[in-house]
Order: sequence, then C-alpha cells, then structure tokens
Amino acid sequence: MFTLPILSQVVVNGLSLSAIYVLVALGFTLLFGIMRVVNFAHGAFAMLGGYALFYAYGSFKLPYALAVFGSAFTVACFGLIFEYLVYRWFYQKMFQSMIGLMGLNMAIVFSSVMIWDVNERTIPAAASGILSVWGLTIPMDRLVIMGITIVVLSLFWFFVTKTRHGLAMRAASQDVDIAAAQGINTTFIYRLAFFVAIFMTALAGGLYAQTYALSPFIGERPLMVAFIVVILGGMGSIPGAALGGVLLGMGESFLSTFYGAAVSSFVSFGVVVALLIFRPWGLLGKPE
Amino acid sequence: MSGLACAGAAIAILILLSWPLIFNNKFYITIGTMVVLSAIGATSLNLIIRTGHVSLAHAAFMGVAAYTCVLLQMRLGVPFWLAMVAGCLASGLLALILGPIVLRLTGKYFVLVTFLVGEIIRMIFVEWQSLTGGANGIQNIPPGLDIMKTPTGFYYLALGAAVVCVGIAWRILSSEIGRAMDSVREAEKLAECSGIPVIKLKITIFVISCTLVGVYGILQTYLLQFIDPSAFNMEASLNLVVMNVLGGMYYLLGPVLGSTFLAALPELLRGYVDLQRVIFGVILIVVMAALPGGIIGLMEALRRLIQKLTAGKTS
Repeated sequence: MFTLPILSQVVVNGLSLSAIYVLVALGFTLLFGIMRVVNFAHGAFAMLGGYALFYAYGSFKLPYALAVFGSAFTVACFGLIFEYLVYRWFYQKMFQSMIGLMGLNMAIVFSSVMIWDVNERTIPAAASGILSVWGLTIPMDRLVIMGITIVVLSLFWFFVTKTRHGLAMRAASQDVDIAAAQGINTTFIYRLAFFVAIFMTALAGGLYAQTYALSPFIGERPLMVAFIVVILGGMGSIPGAALGGVLLGMGESFLSTFYGAAVSSFVSFGVVVALLIFRPWGLLGKPE
Repeated sequence: MSGLACAGAAIAILILLSWPLIFNNKFYITIGTMVVLSAIGATSLNLIIRTGHVSLAHAAFMGVAAYTCVLLQMRLGVPFWLAMVAGCLASGLLALILGPIVLRLTGKYFVLVTFLVGEIIRMIFVEWQSLTGGANGIQNIPPGLDIMKTPTGFYYLALGAAVVCVGIAWRILSSEIGRAMDSVREAEKLAECSGIPVIKLKITIFVISCTLVGVYGILQTYLLQFIDPSAFNMEASLNLVVMNVLGGMYYLLGPVLGSTFLAALPELLRGYVDLQRVIFGVILIVVMAALPGGIIGLMEALRRLIQKLTAGKTS
C-alpha cells in the first residue's frame, strides 16, 4: 500500500490542501493577533469567495488569474462594509466578538441560502490534464492551486516584513496604544489588516470550492480548519499558522488516504484538544 | 415595583398552568412544550456561564443523555424512568471525566476546546453506526410513559421537569455557592485567595449543569420520537448560548425569557426559516455590541432611568 506512486499522490494532495489551509488560517490569525477578534464568520467569507469565483470564472468566463484575484478582491471590498458595520464594535473585545461574530456567520450563511438556495454547484477546473515527471503523475489543477498560494504568500511576506504599512501592522499587533502614540493611524491599519485577511480567506474559499463543491454551507470546514491550524501553531503567530497549515494538510491527506476520513478527523481533533490542554499557546506561540 | 414584579410572576404562572386550556390546539400546546423544555437547557447552561465559562459542548452532553436513555429503553427494555435517570447520570459522568481536563482552561481557550469536544462527541454519534444508527438516527421511539401520549400530558410533564430544574438552578444561585460562583467569575485569583476551592467548584457546577441538560435532551427526543446526531451539533449549543445572551446572561430569569423568544419564534415563523436565522444573527450582533445585559439588562436600565426621572420631579 505504501508504494511510490500512491505516496507521491498523497504528498501532492497534502501540499495543495496545506496551501488552502495556510491561506485560511493566516487571515484568521491576523485578525486575532492584531484586533483580538475571534472571527467566527471566517468560513462565511470563504464561502462568499467561492460564489464570487463561481460567477467570475464559471459564468463570466474571465481569464483564470483575473477571476481568482478579482473575486477575492471584490469579497474583501465587500467585507469592508462589515468591518464598518460590525467588526469595529468588537475590536479588543475577545469574548463579545466570539458570540457576536457567530451571529454574523449565521446572518451571512442564511442570507446566502435565500439568495442561492442550498443546491451544490461546481466551478469548472482551472486546468485539466496531468503532468508526468520521473514516473510521478501530478494533476495540473493542484499545481495551479499551489502556484497561486506561493505567489500570495510571498507577497504577504514581503508586505509584512519590508513595507512601512507592514511594519505599522506589526507594531499595532504588539501594543495598539503605544503604536498610536508613535503616530500610526490604527483605524487605517485595522482596516488594512482586515482587508488583507479577508482577501486571503476569500481566495482560499474560491480554491476550496473549486476543488470540492460550492454551497452556502461550505464555510464550516474552512472555519474548523482555521481553528485547528491556529491552535496548532499558536494564536496570533504568523509562522505558526504556516506550520500548522502544512502539518494539518499533510496529516489529513496521509491519514484519510490510508485510514479513512473519519480516522483523520478524530486524530486531528484529538491532537488539538490535547495540545490545547497541555500547551494552550500552541507550537510556536508565546504563553500569555 | 416589587408589587408589579409579583403581579407579573402571578400572570406568568397562570399562563404557564393554563396554556393547554387556553389554546386547545395540538400545535400551540407542542410549542408550549418546546418553550418549557428549552428553558431547562438554557437555565442549565446559565449555571456554567455564571462561573465565567461559555460551553459549546452543551448540546453534545444532551445527546449523550438522550442516546443512553433511548438505547437502554429500546434495546434492553429498561423502564423509562430508570433509563432517564441513567441517561442524565451518563452525561453527568462524562462531565465529571472531562471537566477536570477542560476546566483548566479559561476564556477563549475554554470556548475553543468545548467546541472541539462537542464536535468529537457528535462525530462519535455519526460514526458508531451499529449502536446509534449513524447519521440516519433512530426513528419511531415509543412513548416512555402513558402521560407522553397526549400533547397536554407531555406539556405538564415538561412543565414539572422545568420547574424542578429551574428550581435547582435558583437554589444553587441564591445560596452561598452562587455567591462563590459570582466571585470566581469576577476575579478568579481573588476568589482563590479568599479560600474558595475554584477548580472544585467549577467541576461541581459543570457536572450539575450537564446532568440537568440531560433532562432536556431526553424529553426533547421523546417529544420528537426521533433521534439523530444533527440535533446535537454546534448550532444547538449555540442556540442555548443565544437564549442566555438575549435574555441576559447574569440573571436567572434571562435564559427563561430568552428561551421563550427563541423556541417559540422559529415554530411560529416556520415558513421563513432562513430569514429568521438571519434575524437571530443580527440580534446576536446588536445585543453583543450594544446590550451586554440582554433583555433583562435593558429592563433594568429602563427602570433606573424612570427612577431617576421620578426622583428628579419629587426633589
């Protein structure tokens, strides 16, 4: 059962899953690290990203690159309305944000049910065919997902470490009041961070919906994944989100191929519960 | 003011007792039963909330009790009363095992870990097909008692159970334990220094609460005569949280009021299920952002305002 073709398939699937998971979890951890908001509506934005891609690529037939980034951009702009209406009131209020944003999640998901009904839709694949190298077969659509993710993650890394706004964002995540005293416009920084987080989530949601299927309820899985990844890596830690995403994606791909989906869910949940109890700050986080 | 409160209580009791007589209609009586039952669930969760924790695994504990009771009665032929007690004890026992582990965490970590524990328990219900019937659940559960065969009988049974459960919660909250719980919520370290056994108290309350919610799970299952894992998912737990938040988390009357709204409205708005979910969501946001005290908090604020205005006139 552990032959090379199967193992290579598992690794490729694992990497493309990891790519989506890292994107989802980065947005989640960004919102938590900077605004102290536990975004229970994260999956809802991923779902909206899926519908945006459905229209942009499936219906309007835009070129794929434009469709993917354009739909995520549109959802992120749309998200800014919610930032103004809802999120603003919950900044730095962890407990209230959890319950209030569960409400937002419910409102968005069931509005989508009213607009798009509950039937599943499919988004056409970006690329068909397979790539064969050294006897390994790699599906093209998985390669596209990995490529897009690598581009976005490098841009994100560049933005956070090399630009002025990225520096301001890191300052605000350490101490908002001191950052504001240094002349950083924290309202703007919050809005920017929110925009970036929703952009990545919507992008991940689009890719996720393209790999599986699209319905108003597909956000549940990305939300769960964001939780697990962020707890694994440490809440608010950006490298932690990357590590956690890869661990979960590879682990899930391996376990579900060889032992079934149920075992894989039990193991990942069990590991996270154990980690929460013995090391609640995660693998790469810092104790409070 | 207290006269008014007494009058309100008297009217409420009168309505509760005569509900099946006022609306002699199966549909309305069943709605009444659902309201009364969910009051049990919301009140039991209120006990945990009072110690400063929000549990998202509460519906899973409901499920443990309900499955235990149904399986004991249907597979082993155990009499209903015995099965019900066993079911409640099963969820209490599970709480006693899990409590010392999960209650080491506080705040957001507790919410997250209960969220995951609840999901794990629900997945066990789905995966253990030989015992629980998997995602299809178990249909045609026979009524456990003769009184359950008529809607009116079931209503009074549920009302009796609710009175007992809310009574237990009230007795706990108004005793010394209740004040210890308040102090743990407000300042845990200080409470510990004052000699309150914090962890022991939290575990005790967690176990009592999970035992009580078993009553809700079991009676609801027998009302619907049907059990499946989807009734015990995160959304069901969340509903109980919403009832508390909407009514007012830090008053015993809060969950009771909240459950009246949230259990009756969905039934009355059956045609608009999705819209009503959207409205709930918006209510949650507004309440959390603007009214942390819920309905009771709002009434309290209004009362104070009126008092201030009238005091201004007399002086």
